[in-house]
Amino acid sequence: MIRSQKFWVAVALLVIIGSAVWSYLTLRFWDSGSTVNIISDGKVLYTIDLSKEPDREITVEYEGRKNIITIKSGRIRVTYADCPDHYCISQGWGEEGSLLPIICLPNRLVIEPADSQLDGVAR
Amino acid sequence: MFKRLAVCAAAAMMLCSCGSSEKHQGSVFAMDTYMSLTAYGSSAEEGIKKASEKLNELDKLWSATESGSEIFAVNSSEGKPVSVSDETASLISFAKEMSSQTGGAFDITVYPIVEAWGFTTGEHSVPSEERLNELLEVVGSDKITVSGSEITLPTGSKLDLGAVAKGRAGDICADLMKECGVTSAVLDLGGNIRTLGTKPDGSKWKIGLRDPFSEGIYATLDVGETNIVTSGAYERFFEQDGKTYHHIIDPNTGRPAESGIASATVIGSDGRLCDALSTSLFVLGAKGAEQLYRSRHDFDYILVTDSGEVIMSEGVSGLITFEPGFGEKVSVVK
Amino acid sequence: MNTKKLTYMSLLTAMALIIFVIELQIPPLFPIPGAKLGLANIVTVFAVYTLRPAESAMILTARILLGTLIAGSPISLIMSLSGGFLCLAGMLLLCRVIDKQHIWVCSVLGAVLHNLGQTAAAMLVMGTASVLVYLPFLMLTGCAAGLFTGLCAQYSVRALGGRFK
Repeated sequence: MIRSQKFWVAVALLVIIGSAVWSYLTLRFWDSGSTVNIISDGKVLYTIDLSKEPDREITVEYEGRKNIITIKSGRIRVTYADCPDHYCISQGWGEEGSLLPIICLPNRLVIEPADSQLDGVAR
Repeated sequence: MFKRLAVCAAAAMMLCSCGSSEKHQGSVFAMDTYMSLTAYGSSAEEGIKKASEKLNELDKLWSATESGSEIFAVNSSEGKPVSVSDETASLISFAKEMSSQTGGAFDITVYPIVEAWGFTTGEHSVPSEERLNELLEVVGSDKITVSGSEITLPTGSKLDLGAVAKGRAGDICADLMKECGVTSAVLDLGGNIRTLGTKPDGSKWKIGLRDPFSEGIYATLDVGETNIVTSGAYERFFEQDGKTYHHIIDPNTGRPAESGIASATVIGSDGRLCDALSTSLFVLGAKGAEQLYRSRHDFDYILVTDSGEVIMSEGVSGLITFEPGFGEKVSVVK
Repeated sequence: MNTKKLTYMSLLTAMALIIFVIELQIPPLFPIPGAKLGLANIVTVFAVYTLRPAESAMILTARILLGTLIAGSPISLIMSLSGGFLCLAGMLLLCRVIDKQHIWVCSVLGAVLHNLGQTAAAMLVMGTASVLVYLPFLMLTGCAAGLFTGLCAQYSVRALGGRFK
């Protein structure tokens, strides 16, 4: 066991700096594309291309509790949730390029960028 | 302590530099369509530039409507032999060969009929039965004589390389890009997809297949280096008296093919073959496609029928992922 | 365990619960799911440095279960348990090598372990790995919160600690 206090202080500082750098890199290199998956209870309910989807509202229910997801001019957000904390609403709008997953833990809802970014479409 | 920090910083820098297999894009309008070229890495820009120049060059060589093109020269030769470039001559002989192998389902001499339907100008109309019978007389690849690099075509007959040109162009551009040192690229030549290598991170390309019944896609394919060509009735069509007429003409009847196929996709290493076959399979229908596949086995294909059923060859089943709502009725041809 | 100890532990649990309830009134500082100050952890850190390991675990268990009854759901219970106990286990080990002048270090590392446990549980519950994206941000805010609660605990231990070890 290392009993040097300096060592543990250094470890703590390293963790703090490391998470700061990691956060920065995540923000800097995050690229989400325009397709999102709406996942409820671990199942993909919708796959939506935000750049093509008309404005609309989607209601997702889990064990009787509701989230209302709004898509407007290429952006997506949760506009209503009957969960206690409303984190999902405070996460605000997500759009192509910078969409981080929107999560409602109590209602087991995730809106996440789909990795199915296509390299091309044969038509 | 500072050593540790330095190591941490170095790791972060490496992470940054990982993202530097940069993506370059270019676009060209050629062969009557919008083409987009995407390539990765340090040679990408040069590769895209050379490929774009080549596409414009090939467009001038193979256009059926531009007066300077070799095809235009052949079409207006009035039966006299015309000397063309080796590239053009070999593409014409290939097309002639494909015509005989598909029992005439594929034919580059169908152009006069396509013209009569107005698909070349956009002034659509349904030609009369007499007019069609008249035009069918000048259709047929046996009318083309290729000797060396000399092409002879009788008066009245006309060629259009539209159904093989993009496929061939994809392979030519891919080779050009390889010479420039590009190892990772996707060429979208108006919906014909030619991939080169793999994605910069070594993973497979994800190529969507257009849903013939709506705007979206019905499946995605995970592929390495290949050609993917789709023909569908949705590409160009018009309506008259409540009936829809699409642009894929069956050379045997002179009318839009009615084979029960909504879209035909062909995957393979030879671009011109894929291009020619996607049209052929669309005209031949499910049974004809199966026969042709069993006789050659040098390509893979996916058909979507008018009722939404999917028929695909064995080689596709490991590459394809269906979108929700599709892939319920799938049969695999071995 | 004598009556005095039992009363003392109950008192700590009650304090943790009160802090927990008060924190519920504070609106989320960051729009990051799962990020919070975790002020109730002051009590856990305090317990780790002043009580026996089993006793700290009992206080934490009681606080999480009662807290879930007050404001929570089965899912938040899973998150609290997985994060809370990974954090506790880590701190119980670390408190053997980190002295009372550096409790904040123990608390910061504990907070990061809490985030790791939370995120792992979230990945299982939500059925998607995309929640991992938030881990660096959770860790960053977790470090700040851990530093704060750790210093609170450190001064509390300095003022009252050592009586029941």
